[in-house]
Amino acid sequence: MVASSFSSGRFWVRLRLAICSFAVIYLIAPLIVVLIISFSSAPFLTFPPPGFSMQWYNNLFTNPAWFNSLVTSIKILIPTSILATVLGTAAAYGLARSSFVGKQLVMGLLLSPMIVPVIIIAIGIFGVFRALGLYGNLLGLIIAHTILAIPYVVMTVSGSLAVIDKRLEDAALTLGASPLRCFRRITFPLIFPAVLSGMLFSMVVSFDELIVSMFISTPVVRPVTVQMWSNIRGSVDPTIAAIATLLFCFSLLALLSERAAARKVKKEVDE
Amino acid sequence: MNLVAKNPMNKNAWLIVPAIVVILCFFIYPVSWLLIDSFARPKWGIQNYEVVLGRFVYLKVLLNTFTISAGTTFWCAVIGYPVAYTMAHCSKRTRRLLIFVVLIPFWTSLLVRTFAWMVLLQKTGLINQTLLTLGVIAEPIALIYNRIGVYIGMVQVLLPFLIFPLYSVMLRIDRNYSFAAATLGAPPVRNFFRIYLPLTLPGLVSGGTLVFVSSLGYYITPALLGGPADLMIAQLIERQISTSGNWGMAGALAVLLLVVTAICLGVVHRIIGVKTAWGR
Amino acid sequence: MTKDLEKLAAMIGRMSLSRRSVLGGAAAIGGLSMAAAMGRPFSAFADDLKGKTVTFASWGGAYQDSQKANYCDPLQQKTGVTVLQDGPMNESKFRTMVEAGDPVWDVVDVTHEFLFNGIQNNLFEKLDLSKIHADRITPAYRNDYGIGDIVWSYNIGYSTKVFTDGNHPKSWADVFDLKKFPGSRALNSDGPQATLEIALMADGVPMDQIYKVMATDEGVKRAYARLDTIRKDTIFWDTNSQSQQLFTDGEVSCGLILNGRAYDAANKGAPIAVEWNENIQSIDYLVIPKGSKNIEAAHALIDEMTVAENQAKLANEIAYAPTNPEAFKLIDAKVAPWLSTNPENASKGFVIDGQFWRDNLDKLKEGWEAWKVS
Repeated sequence: MVASSFSSGRFWVRLRLAICSFAVIYLIAPLIVVLIISFSSAPFLTFPPPGFSMQWYNNLFTNPAWFNSLVTSIKILIPTSILATVLGTAAAYGLARSSFVGKQLVMGLLLSPMIVPVIIIAIGIFGVFRALGLYGNLLGLIIAHTILAIPYVVMTVSGSLAVIDKRLEDAALTLGASPLRCFRRITFPLIFPAVLSGMLFSMVVSFDELIVSMFISTPVVRPVTVQMWSNIRGSVDPTIAAIATLLFCFSLLALLSERAAARKVKKEVDE
Repeated sequence: MNLVAKNPMNKNAWLIVPAIVVILCFFIYPVSWLLIDSFARPKWGIQNYEVVLGRFVYLKVLLNTFTISAGTTFWCAVIGYPVAYTMAHCSKRTRRLLIFVVLIPFWTSLLVRTFAWMVLLQKTGLINQTLLTLGVIAEPIALIYNRIGVYIGMVQVLLPFLIFPLYSVMLRIDRNYSFAAATLGAPPVRNFFRIYLPLTLPGLVSGGTLVFVSSLGYYITPALLGGPADLMIAQLIERQISTSGNWGMAGALAVLLLVVTAICLGVVHRIIGVKTAWGR
Repeated sequence: MTKDLEKLAAMIGRMSLSRRSVLGGAAAIGGLSMAAAMGRPFSAFADDLKGKTVTFASWGGAYQDSQKANYCDPLQQKTGVTVLQDGPMNESKFRTMVEAGDPVWDVVDVTHEFLFNGIQNNLFEKLDLSKIHADRITPAYRNDYGIGDIVWSYNIGYSTKVFTDGNHPKSWADVFDLKKFPGSRALNSDGPQATLEIALMADGVPMDQIYKVMATDEGVKRAYARLDTIRKDTIFWDTNSQSQQLFTDGEVSCGLILNGRAYDAANKGAPIAVEWNENIQSIDYLVIPKGSKNIEAAHALIDEMTVAENQAKLANEIAYAPTNPEAFKLIDAKVAPWLSTNPENASKGFVIDGQFWRDNLDKLKEGWEAWKVS
């Protein structure tokens, strides 16, 4: 029986579907668990929870340690995303619309923060930033997060620049438009969705960054991930789950707004 | 390209400068500084490398790192291949759903997911409880603070990195190949191993490399889900700095990690080449 | 973003294979390494703890929560000083911080052994005793560098769910007996202190011979050989809070836990009890790391911790005994049996040998790290 279905392929199809179903559960399970635990009434990580409450969300906003770290994270995230987006978009545009020797090398350099293991970046930055006075303050964290976010912006924007119709730009330039005007009126609207998603990426990267922050933050300036880390290793409380849920909602929101923007641009281009 | 278009083009190159300056000053410089440390601290020489390659603790950690990365890659391939296949050859709706599911890890913080596994995998956790109720096991099994926990956490995090490169290769495969083979009477299983698998191998290798290389530098997951015998190189580097202030050793370990990473990427590139993998 | 993510994933894959970009990065790193070698920054970093702020580092979780509520918060209310919490305390981290000349911590809760080790290594600021009511503290628990704040012990902890009817591990030999008392064990991952002692007790060394045996290489080998017999069934905790969590979740059936942590967990409903036989007693001190930039505020915080009412409140919450004898009058009757200073409890164990650990910690810690990963 098994042998015949083995050779006919039915066995393999079933196995494949079984693995797929397993993978779906495997990938989603942690998220669901976190969502449920964030509403738990128990102070321990008992699952399933004995009852439901909003106390962990409450704790997030009333406990100064949590609240301050959340505010710190936001103070880092906003400048980081702006900086990374501006620098990354400019670099991507410069790369896509110029030709020079060593372009590959420059691209590699821009993307290298993504290849080098974070722990190496973290301690390198720790050593140097301490000497530069960038240790334990917002500026240092913003710079470090910007470094980590730039590759994401460069990638998304480069991808978009590669597919837009270059003839539109060429036409505008030949008709006498200044390069800046051409960028503002033609190129930028076309790559806008990619720029936006690059920016959202950098926000998520910044909000989620732990290892570098762990090294260059102090109790005075401490992002929420570092607070979570010391909590996970210390007394485990479901406030972490509440933050996680908020974080997830944030990503979802980011995704939806980016989609809406992309749809709008597409509609305008079609018209 | 005519001259009119060429001039503004080269001005554009200046736009790269700010980003490059930032990267050089705040990324390349600190990393190089650390690498120098491996030779310069506490004094100039290769003493740190002698320690790394000469002491049991460090060799064991290197071995751990290698085994765990290889194991993670293996399990990612076993689970990821069928998923990528299904994604590439199914209805549009299912595909969209699968992409969404596979991308979930990108949206959830690594820390949070690891935390979730801590909840799920403990002896009184959901998985043990379910298995006990179903009668699969008689006593709770240890799924956390050991190698199993590390694998469960890491495979989940890295699965998307294997699935997507594989998926994009599979999408490009002309199904006529397989179809032709089938009409010629080849049984599906042989057909798969003879034709489909070799065609998708570049995707598998590039995805696998990505997973392997990322695993090498992992910190959070082994730190929270593993036991003391599952110590990996990133944890060791962290400890050198935060608990013994030993910059030289940290630098030496960092160099080792970087070199292994670069070699892996280089070798794979040699074997398959970018063009084959991505059909450009 | 979905599409971009997908593209991104593909691009990461492509990039990882682009040898040129890897080599490009490597070349750049090589080039800059030279530049970096020339102009390595050596200057100390700028101080960032400005104004009236003091950072307190302790052992995290329930203990530190209690310290915050009963020491730090009152001081904050009285003086307007901001007390920041950090931790958990880690000996090597402390050392690194002081040696780098830029301690982030201003007041730190350290153990008995580390106090002596640290004095020897010049890690602490000498206290200005005119600013602290040191006379409130029992003389045995104070010196020029540290003021004792709690007295506590390492104990055998066991699950009351697994071991009922008085049939529980009553000695370390029992804890090391996997057949008689099944289940996973909890041990401290941080360092060899106390762990080597209990392994020797399990191996039959009488309490008053422990340090004599441990001073020899064979003695240490003997301890590790004993530890090897349970290592497969042992979960090592990094922080005290984790030790509580392990018992709360039923992850372990018995093992090493601090008396106050066990009390706190039991108080919160965890199925845990402690055995006092063969306990190892210790003291925690408050110290100021050498180079602290908030010495004034640090002294104020230490002084606040000598107040009897504050110490009693902490003892009532987490069962760590006070060092101010006045505080005992304010302690709940139900907490008394959990205190390591309780004569009946104290007589069943011994005090950790600070002298021994001062002289041997560095050497034994290296062996400990190697044993853990093996």
